[in-house]
Amino acid sequence: MWKYEKRLQYPVNIKNKDIRLAKILVTQYGGSNGELAAALRYLNQRYTMPDNRGKALLTDIGTEELAHIEIISAMIYQLLKGATPAEIKAAGLDPHYAEHKNALYPTDANGVPFTVTYFATTGDPLADLSEDMAAEQKARAVYENLIDLTTDPDVLGPLLWLRQREVVHFNRFKELYDAYKKELK
Amino acid sequence: MNDYNMMNNIMSNFFNPEDLYPQAQMHEMKNEMPMKKDEIGTPKEGYTLGNLFVNTYIPYKNYMPQKLVAHNEQEALFLQMSEVAFAAHELNLYLDLHPTDQAKLKMFNQFRKKANELRTQYENQYGPISINANVLDNSPFLWEELPFPWKGGIQ
Repeated sequence: MWKYEKRLQYPVNIKNKDIRLAKILVTQYGGSNGELAAALRYLNQRYTMPDNRGKALLTDIGTEELAHIEIISAMIYQLLKGATPAEIKAAGLDPHYAEHKNALYPTDANGVPFTVTYFATTGDPLADLSEDMAAEQKARAVYENLIDLTTDPDVLGPLLWLRQREVVHFNRFKELYDAYKKELK
Repeated sequence: MNDYNMMNNIMSNFFNPEDLYPQAQMHEMKNEMPMKKDEIGTPKEGYTLGNLFVNTYIPYKNYMPQKLVAHNEQEALFLQMSEVAFAAHELNLYLDLHPTDQAKLKMFNQFRKKANELRTQYENQYGPISINANVLDNSPFLWEELPFPWKGGIQ
């Protein structure tokens, strides 16, 4: 089971509304390389890992990804806070407003809703861990694209931090992949 | 500038020796090679970078990590708790793959205990973070009363 801690893993304190940024940032919530896909990918794959190293790592990284969903969601919430319908329309987010007002909804930067087809479970630990390594690299690349598209230090801080977590998770998955590759016949 | 120089530059710009946590075996800010991949930074270094294994830190372009600044005692305690909890979490992920590494297990337990102490101290002074918090003995139900974390600020 899980227990909630009433805190963000990394603080988010965005002072300036930025609807256009919220519109693209949402991809790290509900896009193919986003945090929701990451959490579900690892938490689904963990059951069939061949030993407790894999079960433990996928459980713990999958759990951390849930905390990253909350960080990205807090950023989107703060970027949209107090945005008027007119401002939302001017920023091109009126289709979102029509469906969801200022509420959050997991989509990619083009507004395409989240789908579980963004991740796979093959039951083969090497195949699954290869996907996990690729997922961390793709998420890192998307964080870099987003960093390129903003100059707000309140947004850059958490984005740089989340990007670095992709680096750490990749290293851990690669370590496990290399170990299994050597050991599993 | 290579990654290692960039990292040392970040370290010297961001961290003071008095921020070090003496109870752990610490990363030393030397320009010495070779680097060990599993070298551990202080909780403050690790939390700032988003990577406790400081020699594996990879910067993006010339961006520097955000320096989190506490504006009052509450924020300072919250930040310290976040740093130490993060350090414990990083060692947790490492130990998942290296369960017999005694040195890392010892560090994990130092950070785990310190993080628990700091969380309890924070909860007693400012309200619950965990639903297990003893401060929930008080009325009204503080879990619901106090702000949710997406409100903003360091809390």
